[in-house]
Amino acid sequence: MKKLVLARRLSQLFFLFLFVYFLWSADNTLAFFKADPLVSVFSLLSIIIVILTLALGRFFCGWVCPLGSIIDVCGIKAKSRDLNIRQIKYYILGFIVIFAFLGIQIAWVFDPLVITARFISLNFIPSFIFILNKIFIFLIKGLNFYAPLYDFYRLIKSSILGLKIYYFPHSFITLSFFAAICSLAFIIKRFWCRIVCPLGAIYSLISNFSIVSRHVDKCVNCMKCKINCRMSAIKEDMSYRKGECILCMDCVYDCHVKGVKFTWHAGPLRLRPKGSISRKDFLFLLSSSFLLLGFKFREEGLREKLIRPPGVSGKREFLNKCIRCGNCMRACPTNGLQPVIFESGLAGIWAPHLVPEIGYCEYNCNLCGKTCPTGAIPELSLAEKKEQRMGLANIDKAICIPWTQNRECIVCEEHCPVPAKAIKIYDESGVKKPYVDNSLCIGCGICQNKCPVRPVRAVKVSP
Amino acid sequence: MKRRFIFERFPERMMTRKGFLKLCAIGAGGMALNSSLFKFAFGQDGASTGRVGKKIKGLHDLVVVKGEDPYAMTVKAIESIGGMERFVKKKSVVLVKPNIGWNRFPEQAANTNPYVVGALIDMCFRSGAKRVNVFDRTCNETAQCYNNSGIEKIAKEKGANVYYPDDWNVVKAKFKYESPMEGWPVYRDALECDTFINVPVLKHHRLAGLTIAMKNLMGVCSGDRGLMHSDIGVKLAHMTDFIKPDLNVIDAYRVLLRHGPSGGDMADVMEMKTVIAGVDPVLCDSYAARLMDKDPLSLGFISHGVKNNIGSADISKADILTVTA
Repeated sequence: MKKLVLARRLSQLFFLFLFVYFLWSADNTLAFFKADPLVSVFSLLSIIIVILTLALGRFFCGWVCPLGSIIDVCGIKAKSRDLNIRQIKYYILGFIVIFAFLGIQIAWVFDPLVITARFISLNFIPSFIFILNKIFIFLIKGLNFYAPLYDFYRLIKSSILGLKIYYFPHSFITLSFFAAICSLAFIIKRFWCRIVCPLGAIYSLISNFSIVSRHVDKCVNCMKCKINCRMSAIKEDMSYRKGECILCMDCVYDCHVKGVKFTWHAGPLRLRPKGSISRKDFLFLLSSSFLLLGFKFREEGLREKLIRPPGVSGKREFLNKCIRCGNCMRACPTNGLQPVIFESGLAGIWAPHLVPEIGYCEYNCNLCGKTCPTGAIPELSLAEKKEQRMGLANIDKAICIPWTQNRECIVCEEHCPVPAKAIKIYDESGVKKPYVDNSLCIGCGICQNKCPVRPVRAVKVSP
Repeated sequence: MKRRFIFERFPERMMTRKGFLKLCAIGAGGMALNSSLFKFAFGQDGASTGRVGKKIKGLHDLVVVKGEDPYAMTVKAIESIGGMERFVKKKSVVLVKPNIGWNRFPEQAANTNPYVVGALIDMCFRSGAKRVNVFDRTCNETAQCYNNSGIEKIAKEKGANVYYPDDWNVVKAKFKYESPMEGWPVYRDALECDTFINVPVLKHHRLAGLTIAMKNLMGVCSGDRGLMHSDIGVKLAHMTDFIKPDLNVIDAYRVLLRHGPSGGDMADVMEMKTVIAGVDPVLCDSYAARLMDKDPLSLGFISHGVKNNIGSADISKADILTVTA
């Protein structure tokens, strides 16, 4: 019985399900991100995780990380080749830290929790719900199972299924990013975790000082543990790289003579562990990182084209705080928040913006701010949120139905959520023609969303 | 033998006339099967010529109840018009159709008062209804509208089925006369019920003038409702004829005087503390319009309703009972 391996797998499964559940319910999504030292350095949970890592080692990667679990599944058949390029992850971490001091946040590109959350929110949940919904429609409408099944369908629709099928037009790109990471695991076990993951690099640096460590009592030099080690942490002489070990416990059971043990006795402490970054490397890193400043998007003189979520003030500050986890897009009840692709340059990729054609900003709602783990979208009370200006509506009188065809419409006026109505009527006596009161409009986009003119709406909200 | 890909085998085979025709036949047959399979799988929307109204007369044409407690007022109104047993038969399916259009709180008077809805559901079950459905197509986000209006909570407590309408479960409207609403998708549940109880809230509406019972029936229409806004009067009259609600209970407890239909400002809300019940939707609307100091026939939907013989707008000839609860 491989008790410890079984325990690890159960723990991985539990945390993966918990992660999906949190994202699905779009409710307490913050927990995982608050426990991520790369994203929120000073939160209580991440301090606890760091302390635990000091005691146990890199347990997070092996036992908790949802991306690690998915990668483990992908890599069941893969080989474990020892590539001596594991220092790359320290360089990536170094870049992230240096850029953070320069005031540019690029942690979102590499953070494993963010990558997984984005995949689950933008790809997995929408497609899963879509398929489930289609199956139900087929059973109910196609096979005429109305009465009992329909009630069940309505029940789950108002609880777990959600009543809207979300869709994200460019989610293919997030999918391919995720798929690339997973497909690397098909070739070499845990490729991402060994070589790229900056969060792993943090834990690796910390766990060099951890108390729990691996001891070999007896050895017949069969090398089985070395060949099988998914992180290639075991060296030729049966000692191991402590910072690489994710406590997967495979080597304990690989050993014929039962000579491998993990105990609470740390070996002699090495203050500068091997495999970490050297002075020369650090200077190289520092001097080369300026080349990447082209990542910055030039914003002076360019008009902002994107409507940002409510409460977001400066674009620069927003992009630096946003980790592109997709929580707000998952939480937005109208599906109006969508990932940006290239409209605001490389630095702005995958940050949320409001697309009024797809969904408007619900007046009586502040969910996006509540689910944002980094405060990029500020958490506002409902009263504060209603004051936020996201843009300004403008009616195109060349295509608006009352202005051009002299027929009644004013759907925009009906839907305008501002109590005093930001859309006013030009001529009260005849056909009612709408215009926008600039001082009242908050730019929520519901007028653009509901405007019946096609293909281009007669109302447009611009930031 | 070396395995070959399927495309590599093709050049070896000569295409004969017979073979070509066979291929065509298979292709055509496959396409026909495919389309019928698709229809079988996801169904086609049926068509309907409208609900068959019950045409039950009440004891009075209209009952107007004034009072303090909306629940008690509703009970009183239904008792005075002849009791719920008159409209709801034993083991029947009832649809209570409130206005849950907006993501607003009950005090803001944009949605039907939840206690009026609750009272009706209670009375339906007391008269032996098998099932009471409650739904509305909302203008704002559905789940939040249901939640913040307070209707979902109270209706579920009373045992009704509260659910979100599905846009795939509709029937196409058919009319015996020429109508701009021809072919409009209407939720199936609105037609497949034994009793249709229409529970609107009286409030201001910029385009239609007021939104009352007839305008409330827009909530059973699927499709792009923005397009209903041109010639809204005719469309609402035809829709009322199509649905033929059996009972209309107008909640005028809190009334939105300006900036309707969504409102939001408490200064626009007036407490009128009235509940109106009646069988004829046009008459109900006419009386409610008078309460709001409007000439009924100046409102498009009422004048078209009279023109189409759906009901009468003549309050002076109607038998109106006014009581206090």
